[in-house]
Amino acid sequence: MPPLGRGPEAARAASGGSVPRPTYWRSLDELADTPAFRAFSEAEFPSAAPARLAPTTRREFLRLMGASAALAGLTGCRWPKEVIAPYGQQPENRTPGVPVQYATAMELGGWAQGLLVTSYDGRPIKIEGNPSHPLNRGATDARAQASVLELYDPDRAHAVCRRDGQQYATLTWEDFAAFARPHFDQLRQRGGAGLCVLSAASSSLSLADMRARLLAAFPQARWLEWEPLSRDNERLGALLAFGRPHRTHLHPDRADVIVALDDDFLGAHPAAVQYARDFITGRRIDATGRRIDAGGPEEAQRPAAPMNRLYVVESGYSITGAMADHRYPLRSCDVPAFAACLAAQLVERGLALPPEAGELSAVLKGAAEGRGEGPCPRGLADELLGHRGRCLITVGPHQPPEVHALVHVLNAALGNVGTTLTYTVEPDESRPTHVAAIGQLVAAMRAGQVDTLLILGGNPAYDAPADLELAGCLASVETTIHLSLHRNETSRLCLWNLPQAHYLESWGDARAYDGTLSIVQPLIAPLYDGKTPAEVIALLLGEEPATGYEIVRRALQALQPGTDFESWWRQALHDGVVPGTAFAAVSPTPRGGEWAATIGGWVGRPTAQEDGLEVVFRPSAAVYDGRFANNGWLQELPDPITKLTWDNPALLAPATAAALGVESGDIVRLTLGARSLEVPVYVLPGHAAGSVTLLLGYGRSSAGRVGDGVGCNTYALRTTEGLDVAYRPVVVKTGRRCKLATTQDHHAIRSRVGERAGQARVGLLVREATVEEYRRHPQFAREAVHHLPLVSLWQEHSYEQGHRWAMAIDLNACIGCSACVVACQAENNVPVVGKDEVERGREMHWLRVDRYFRGAPHDPQVAFQPVPCMHCENAPCEQVCPVAATVHSSEGLNDMVYNRCIGTRYCANNCPYKVRRFNWFNNHRDLTEIEKLAFNPEVTVRSRGVMEKCTYCVQRINAVKIAAGNERRAIRDGEITPACAQACPTQAIVFGDLNDPDSRVARLHTAERAYGILEELNVKPRTKYLARLRNPASTPGNRTDQ
Amino acid sequence: MNGFVFPKWVNHLRPLLGFCLVAVPAYVVVVFAWGAAPRTTDVGYAPRQPVAYSHALHAGLLGLDCRYCHTNVETAAHALIPPTQVCLNCHTTIRADSPKLAPLRQVYAEDGARAGMPIEWVRVHDLPDYVYFDHSAHVRRGVGCVSCHGRVDNMEVVYQAEPLSMGWCLDCHRNPYRHLRPLDKVTDMTWAPVDALAEGRRLAELYDIRPPTDCSACHR
Repeated sequence: MPPLGRGPEAARAASGGSVPRPTYWRSLDELADTPAFRAFSEAEFPSAAPARLAPTTRREFLRLMGASAALAGLTGCRWPKEVIAPYGQQPENRTPGVPVQYATAMELGGWAQGLLVTSYDGRPIKIEGNPSHPLNRGATDARAQASVLELYDPDRAHAVCRRDGQQYATLTWEDFAAFARPHFDQLRQRGGAGLCVLSAASSSLSLADMRARLLAAFPQARWLEWEPLSRDNERLGALLAFGRPHRTHLHPDRADVIVALDDDFLGAHPAAVQYARDFITGRRIDATGRRIDAGGPEEAQRPAAPMNRLYVVESGYSITGAMADHRYPLRSCDVPAFAACLAAQLVERGLALPPEAGELSAVLKGAAEGRGEGPCPRGLADELLGHRGRCLITVGPHQPPEVHALVHVLNAALGNVGTTLTYTVEPDESRPTHVAAIGQLVAAMRAGQVDTLLILGGNPAYDAPADLELAGCLASVETTIHLSLHRNETSRLCLWNLPQAHYLESWGDARAYDGTLSIVQPLIAPLYDGKTPAEVIALLLGEEPATGYEIVRRALQALQPGTDFESWWRQALHDGVVPGTAFAAVSPTPRGGEWAATIGGWVGRPTAQEDGLEVVFRPSAAVYDGRFANNGWLQELPDPITKLTWDNPALLAPATAAALGVESGDIVRLTLGARSLEVPVYVLPGHAAGSVTLLLGYGRSSAGRVGDGVGCNTYALRTTEGLDVAYRPVVVKTGRRCKLATTQDHHAIRSRVGERAGQARVGLLVREATVEEYRRHPQFAREAVHHLPLVSLWQEHSYEQGHRWAMAIDLNACIGCSACVVACQAENNVPVVGKDEVERGREMHWLRVDRYFRGAPHDPQVAFQPVPCMHCENAPCEQVCPVAATVHSSEGLNDMVYNRCIGTRYCANNCPYKVRRFNWFNNHRDLTEIEKLAFNPEVTVRSRGVMEKCTYCVQRINAVKIAAGNERRAIRDGEITPACAQACPTQAIVFGDLNDPDSRVARLHTAERAYGILEELNVKPRTKYLARLRNPASTPGNRTDQ
Repeated sequence: MNGFVFPKWVNHLRPLLGFCLVAVPAYVVVVFAWGAAPRTTDVGYAPRQPVAYSHALHAGLLGLDCRYCHTNVETAAHALIPPTQVCLNCHTTIRADSPKLAPLRQVYAEDGARAGMPIEWVRVHDLPDYVYFDHSAHVRRGVGCVSCHGRVDNMEVVYQAEPLSMGWCLDCHRNPYRHLRPLDKVTDMTWAPVDALAEGRRLAELYDIRPPTDCSACHR
C-alpha cells in the first residue's frame, strides 16, 4: 500500500526500513519496547488472579459459603423493611432528595478559590467552581474537587485531647476552656510575654481581626506565619525592585509571547485555574492563524491576534512545560544565568531599561562583553523585542529574589506592565518571610522565651526546615496547643490537641489571589466538634461573640458601613463573591540597586554540569505540602507528567540516571551535608540533566490510614538554606529496588504490532500540527489516517429522533491538570484501590489522561489525551456481552447495567479504547459509615465482580431531561455538563446533543481539527478529539547547546 | 488384569444421580414459582404504620388532594411523606386529643424520648436501590397516581397494589396510552374517560410523551 498519510508521521511510518520507533511513546519502556511493556500492554488484565485476599483457609471458606447460602435463602423471604423518616418540622426551602448548591470558598496556603458545593439532604457531596468567581468561573483544580473527601476522613481529629506521655485523654472543649481561662489570664497579666502563635498563612479578614484583638490583649505576644510552600521569593523580589512587596498578576490572554522561567503558572500557582483559562484563550485559533475566542473587551479590539507562543525553561517537567512551544530543560540553579543572559541580549539589542534601573543596564552591558554565548537562545530576545507590550516574562517562586527583580525591570522595559501583567500591593506588607518566621520561633524556643505556643493549623513538626529541628524544640515549651484537622506529627508533640473545623464546616472568609473576598459558609455542622482558628482565639480571649458566624459578620461590617448590612451580607453569601474587593492595580516603577551586581555575576555563567548535581524541592501535584496525604483520591491521582501514584521517587533525567548507573525503581541514598534519605529513583524523560527533583508531602508518619508510610519524607533534606534548591548531593546506589505504581503503561492502545513499518494496526491516537501546517492543511487531523470505506455488519440504529449525546475534547486546550479525573471520581463514586492494585493495572478511574512523549528522551514534547468511554455507536463491548449487561440507549449512550453484569470481562477484552474497569473486589466494603457520606446517591455504588465505565454522567443527563420535560421546554445547549467538563479550567471538554446543529459539540464534531481515535475500526465513537496545535517559532530559537 | 477398575464409591453414583434428576427440576420450579409470586413482588404488602392513618378517610371521604400532603410529587423524585407539622395543621383543632394521634403530639412535645424525632413510617412502595424512579417525571406528564398506587382513596391501610417489577414498568413505558390523563386529573382516583386509549393517544401527542425504555433511564 502506498503511503497515504500526508502528515510527517504517516510518511515516516510508511518509509520502511529498520524497526521504527513509535512517534509517540508512553514510557521509556515502550520506546525501548521492553518485554515488560509488551507483557503489560498485550494482556487485557495484566494480573488476572485476585491478590488482595489473604490465603483463605478451609474453615474461612466454609464460613463464607455458609453465610452466602444463608443469605441466598433469606432473600426469598422478604425485602428488608425500610422506614421513611420525614421532618417533624420541615426547614424552609428544603426539599428532601433535591440537591442544593451553596457558595463558599476553600483556602489553601493563604489563597482562596470560590466554590459551589452541592449539598444532598444536608451533606456536601460534590465541589464545583463558582461561576461568579473571577478566578474559578466555574472550574476548579483537583485538590478542591478532592477536598470533600477530606471532610469525611475518619482519621480526622475527633475530640479535644490532652496528651500525657504517649497516652491521650479524650476531653471536651469545656475542659480545654477550664484549663485555658486561668492560663491565659495569667499570661494577660504578663502582657502576653511568652505567648507565641504560629499560624498557617491566611487571607481571612476575620482571622486578621481576631489576631489584632489577641495582640491588643497580649501586647508582648508574637504572631508568626509558616507555610512550607511559600511564594516569599516573589515578595522579596518585588521588595528589591519596587521597595515594597507587590503581587504580580498575569494576563496570559493578552500576551502573544510568554516566557516562563521555572514557573509552573498553569499548575502550581494560586491562580492557576484562572491562568490556565486565560492562557488557552490565547491558543484558540482558526485555520487562518487568528484567535477565534477573544478574551475580554480589550481583546475584541485586537481580533487579529495570533496564537500565543510559550517558552518554558525549567528543571523538572511541569504541565506548563508540556504546553510549551519551546522548552529548555535547564537546572533550576542555571535559570538565573538564563534570565541574566536573556536580559543582556535584550539590552544588547537595544532594549532601553527604565532610567531608575540605570545601573542594571550598565552592568548587563559590561558583563555581556567577552563572555560568549549564554544558555539563552538568540531568537528569544528578538521575539520579545518584536512583541513589546504583548509579551510576558514570568518567574517561578523557587527562583531567587534577584531574578524576580530583574524580570520586573524587563517587563517594565518591554511595556508589558498594565497589559500582560499588573501589580497590586501585597496585603500584610510587614510580615517576615515564612522561613524567617519559623527561624524566629525556633530561636525564641531555644532561648526559653516561649512558654505557651499556640499552633493554628499546619504541621510544622513535619514540614519545617530540617536544620531547625523544630520537633525537638517543641518539648521544651511548657504549654503547646495545636489546632489541627488531623492528629498529625505536630499534634503528637503537643500537649493539647484541638480538632479544627473543615472549611465545609466553618464560617469564615478568604481572599483569592486577586483579592476577591468570599464568605466561607458551612455546609454541615462540624462532624467532629471542630472549631475554626478565629473561634479558638475568641475562646482564649474569653470574648463574645464566640461563634464563627458572628466573628465573620463583625469583621465584615467594616466593608459595608451603610445601614443595610443584612441584605448586603445575604447577597454576598449567596453570590460567594463580595463585589469590589479585588485589589486595585498599581504601577510601581522598578529601580536598580545593589542586586544588579548579582545579576552581572550571572551573565555568561557556565551552565555546564561540572559543579555537580542539584536537588530541587517541589510540591506534589496531588498532596500539595503533605496536608492531603490522607486523601485517597489525590494519592491515587496519577501525576500529570510522571503518571506516578502513591509515591514520590526522586526524578532524574535519563542522562543523569545513566551517569549514576541507576534506573527507575532503584533505591538510592541521597546525602546532603549531614542529612541523608533513601529514596527510589524515577527516570523522567525531559528532565534537566544534573538535577534531581524531590516532591514534598510524602513519607507521613501520622497522616492516617491512607497516607501513613506512603513515599518518603523529603522534608528531611530540606533546610533553611536550601528550601528550594540544594547543591551537590551525594547519590549512592543501595542495590535495593522497589516497585513504583505508575499508570503510564496502563491501558495502552498499542499503535504498532509488527516489527516492520506499515504494520501499524491503528492510526495515530494523538494528532497535532504546527500552526503553519494547520494553515496549509486545515484537515490534517482527519486525513492523518486513511482507511478503506467502512461497512457495518450490523443493522445500524437511527438517531434522528430525540437526542444524540456526544462529547468533544479539544487537545489544544487540555493542559493535563487532571481536575477532570478527580471530578469524575467524586461524581461517580469511583473507588480508590491502593498502590498494590494500581501496580497491577487495576485503577478504577473512569476517565484517564494519557500522557505521550514524542521525540528524543532527553528533550521530548508531551501531549495529553483524556480518554473517557467513547460511547461508540457500534460498540464492540455490547456485541460480546453474553447477558446484555451493556447495551445501547436510543440516545446513543453505551449503558452499563450493573445488575445484569456477571463479570465475564469480555467487554473489557473487546474494548479497543481500554476504558472499562472491573471491580476485582468489593472496594467499598471496608469504608466506615462516615466515608459513605461522601457518596453521590444518584449513582449506584458498584459491588465486586461488576464492570463499570464512564456513563457521560447519565444521572446529570436524566436530571436535566426530567427538569426540562417538567417545564415543557427543550434542553438548552450547555445545560447538561458532565462532571469532567464542569471541572475543566480550560473548557477543553464539551458535551451536548449532535441533533442540535447549533450546539457547541455539533460544531466541534464537524470542525476541521476534529477526529475520532480508532475510527478505522468503524466503531463510530461519539467522543471526538480536536487535534493539538503547536506554535514553534519560524526561526527556531534553538539553544546554542552547552 | 491391567484394565481400569472403577473404585467402589462409584456404586453410590447411581442413586445420587437419580436424586439429582428429581431434586434439581423441583428446585428450579420452586425458585421460579416463588420468584414470580405476588408474595415475592410484595403485592398486597400492607405493613402496620406507627400512626393508624387512614387514606380512605382523608383522601376518600374527606376528598383531600394527594398533593396536600405529598407536596413534592410534582417537583422532585420523592413524593415526600409529609412532615408532622402538616398533620398538625388540622389536628391541633380537629380531634386534638385523639389517642391515635399520640405519636404526632410526642414529636411536638417539649420533652420526651420522641420529642423532635421523626415518625418512622414504614415504606410500602419500595423499589430496589439501583432503580432511580422520579415522581415528578411521571406526574407532570399525565400519569395518574392511581396507575401505580391503586385506589388509595379506598385503603384503610395502604398496601402495594401493583407488582412494581421491571416488566410491569416496561409495559407502561412501551405502551403508555392507557395510563395518560389530563394534567388536572392526575390525582383524581376515579377519572375514567369513555375511550381511555384514544384519549391517551391524544394526550401523548399533546404532551410529547415518548417514554424511554433505555436501561439508563432508571438504572445508573
